[in-house]
Amino acid sequence: MKSLLTILSFSLAAFTLAQNGKKVQFVGGARAVMSNMDFQTGEEDTVTPRKSAGGYALIDLGFRINPNEQTEILGMIRVKNDLGGFWGSNVAFDVRQLYVRGVAGKIVRYQLGNIDYKMTPYTFYNHNPDMLLGGVGTLQIKEDILNYESFYSKNNTWRQQGAAVDFGLAFPKIVKDVKFNGFITRLNPSNLSNIFERFYGGGNLVVKQSKYLTFGLNHASIFDLKETAASENPYKNAVSTATYEGKLDKDKYTVGLAGEAGTSAAGYSQDSSQLTDFFSNTKVYLKLKELNLKLSIGYMDNGADFRSAGAQSKRINYNQLNSFYSRYTNSQIDRQISIYDLYNDPTLYSSSITEGIMDYNPAINNALPYGTASFNRKGIFGEVQYQDTSEKLTLEVKYYQLSEIRGQGTTKLRKYNFLQTTAKVDLMKFLKIKRHLDFEAGFSYQRTTRPSEIEFENVSLKSAAVSLGVQYELISKLFLLANVYHFESSGNDLTPIRNTNDEIISFAPYNANNYENYFATGLKFNFTEDMYLSAFYESNLNNGNGMTPYTINQFMIVYNLKF
Amino acid sequence: MKKYITLVLLGMIMLSSCHKKDNSIDGPNLNDVYGEFGVINTLGQNLDSVDFAVGQTAYFTAQMSKIIDWKITITGQTSGAVKEITGTGSSLTQATTTWLGETTYFPVFGAEICDVQLTFEGEDDTLTSTIKIIQSKLNPGFLISDFESGFNNQWTSYIQSGADMDFQIKTDASSPQGNSYYNMAGTVDWDYLIGYLYFGASAYGSPQMPITGNGDNTYFNIMIYGEPGSVNTILLFQFQEDDDLSGGFANSSEDTYSLEIPVNWEGWKLYSVKYSDIPCLVNGQPSTPNGNGQHNPDRLNQVNMLHLANPVTGFAKTKVDYIIFTQNEPLKP
Repeated sequence: MKSLLTILSFSLAAFTLAQNGKKVQFVGGARAVMSNMDFQTGEEDTVTPRKSAGGYALIDLGFRINPNEQTEILGMIRVKNDLGGFWGSNVAFDVRQLYVRGVAGKIVRYQLGNIDYKMTPYTFYNHNPDMLLGGVGTLQIKEDILNYESFYSKNNTWRQQGAAVDFGLAFPKIVKDVKFNGFITRLNPSNLSNIFERFYGGGNLVVKQSKYLTFGLNHASIFDLKETAASENPYKNAVSTATYEGKLDKDKYTVGLAGEAGTSAAGYSQDSSQLTDFFSNTKVYLKLKELNLKLSIGYMDNGADFRSAGAQSKRINYNQLNSFYSRYTNSQIDRQISIYDLYNDPTLYSSSITEGIMDYNPAINNALPYGTASFNRKGIFGEVQYQDTSEKLTLEVKYYQLSEIRGQGTTKLRKYNFLQTTAKVDLMKFLKIKRHLDFEAGFSYQRTTRPSEIEFENVSLKSAAVSLGVQYELISKLFLLANVYHFESSGNDLTPIRNTNDEIISFAPYNANNYENYFATGLKFNFTEDMYLSAFYESNLNNGNGMTPYTINQFMIVYNLKF
Repeated sequence: MKKYITLVLLGMIMLSSCHKKDNSIDGPNLNDVYGEFGVINTLGQNLDSVDFAVGQTAYFTAQMSKIIDWKITITGQTSGAVKEITGTGSSLTQATTTWLGETTYFPVFGAEICDVQLTFEGEDDTLTSTIKIIQSKLNPGFLISDFESGFNNQWTSYIQSGADMDFQIKTDASSPQGNSYYNMAGTVDWDYLIGYLYFGASAYGSPQMPITGNGDNTYFNIMIYGEPGSVNTILLFQFQEDDDLSGGFANSSEDTYSLEIPVNWEGWKLYSVKYSDIPCLVNGQPSTPNGNGQHNPDRLNQVNMLHLANPVTGFAKTKVDYIIFTQNEPLKP
């Protein structure tokens, strides 16, 4: 009983933070965006409109109701109106969020409805492998909008609909505490014909043995509910993993070993080609406390047939058309999704868990297209994280040296080098000036090689991205924004073409000779921490893979409020 | 405690096993997709002369440098008959190229020398050979007629007194099998019926046609010619069964199954149907047979072939040849 009381107070403390003693609160946000866009191409184009203008205003109005101290209900509706569409046209009403959560019996914490959930990087995790570099300034504004629209959070959760529970137990001996988590979500409904009711569920238990050792068991599974369709061939993708961390915490340093290892099985029950495989990911780390420096080095080995839909679903499916200026030139060729589109168009993003292998862009991320959980990769990686004690400088460097485990179309294996660095500098502290001056720089480089004497086996693809962003407080609360982004990719690869069972049936030549330049500057006025108004101009030049270049210039006004 | 932790950590590391080098590959071999095409072993064949009538078969061999779509085209030098064999692979073997003497495009092969051509999708290379057919293949089954022996006087025919009526056996090079076929043509602007030809079992020396199979393993086959530019013809076949084995057919108490074939194509075409799939029709609508309700090809007393056409659509013409019942599978001429 004593142990249970320890957990109970933990659960309530975490939950009651939001209550503030009020039974009903209004929460939500509002945003207004105005845009004037100019599109130019070097090719003859008398079809595509040169300019477009538009925008919208929206409000997300939520009611947070606390009927008692242990229950919270949140309902949020969205009213969105495209500019110029007042008086009833182009007005949309949607339910944006709906959930009930609370603590049952003072022991079990639960949530029903919309849940933001994650487990481990190999089971259920919203990796972000395509947004290679962040940044302050205009890119930050755009990234915040698309993250809000798609319910992406900084801690890599997926927004799903279902239920989640968790509870914990504390023990006086042998182990310190054990935490249990479970979830079930519905991925798609049955059509009462040939499509099954599909669910995604799982859970884990995390055992903290002592301050030295923590380990956990995790399981996540997509499964079709039998007898919900006129079929005898349900799908299942089950992933079971073990996580562990052992560390030695001294006054000046912490040294530890952490990792995850597990297995997966995926396929339709009547198919002979069920995919099964395993993975392991282990790293050792050293944290020097006085320097605030963390160094880690590890080894990962993700089997070629390792499949984990919850960890390998991508935010963007590259097998889709852009939603604006999707075609251009007189030939109306497809305009491929660019780095600029990744920041500019929230409608490209999805919050769905997809059981199949999603298309990716080799130029953007060929090394880890599905994040850490990418299949068919093995090799070493290292990471340096540094932040000085006064938080003037934050530095992060990641490096991966990987290779395939199984060749595609040949026994020769691709090798990957992937470097990703970010530096944030608080120049106000550095220069000891009164106004905020934030600078952020990022650099990403990837190289894919598969040397071969046979020409068609030869692969050599490089891509690099550089991002610089500045945010300077001109006068109180008024900031000058400036961003520069350059991306380039060159070389060749062969991208797999898969059938509906995700089996590779052929290969398509992929030739990159691409670059993008982005420049933006503007102003931003912060009324409060949660409310700002910004106006900025941006220009994006894309060489259209060396064949059909185009430029997008855009002037935007963005008003954003959270409450 | 430190020892305990160390042991656990070591155990974790051991659990983190690695994949061994995998010599298998994902997807097709790149050489098969992008490799340069070449012929390693040229076109070969097991026989220079083949007698299909005694059960001999021919097959062809070749070896290529990559997987590719290939096509063998065998063309009779005399008949113009064409047999096509297609496949995908890096070699031609007995399993993929065996030829039983059948044809893909009419006419059927006769005793003749044939040109053999091997081509590859997307490549200019063409390998050639010849093969001699000593005897063409035999088609087991009950042959109603191939019209090679002229008109059987025990058949019953009727021809309306319309315009341009031409119901007769003709002998010319357009015959898909042998040299002769039955021609049916004419204009009748007051009736659907243009003419008919009835094949009674008595013409073959017995009250029931000598068919041994049942309805599920017996196939009715006929070669039909669709006149270019004309889609008027409807061929109606009536299969009258002597259910009570009385030696005759009584419409009121025995089964008639009917097959309507709108001849809406051009050129010769083999039409095959499983006998048990032939419905009972009354005025073109499905109906209940008057006899035992079972498809009994072994009790067939008569097969009626009627040439019909809508009277308002004018001239109708078709040709038929090689009417045969086969067992277990449709005719492979």
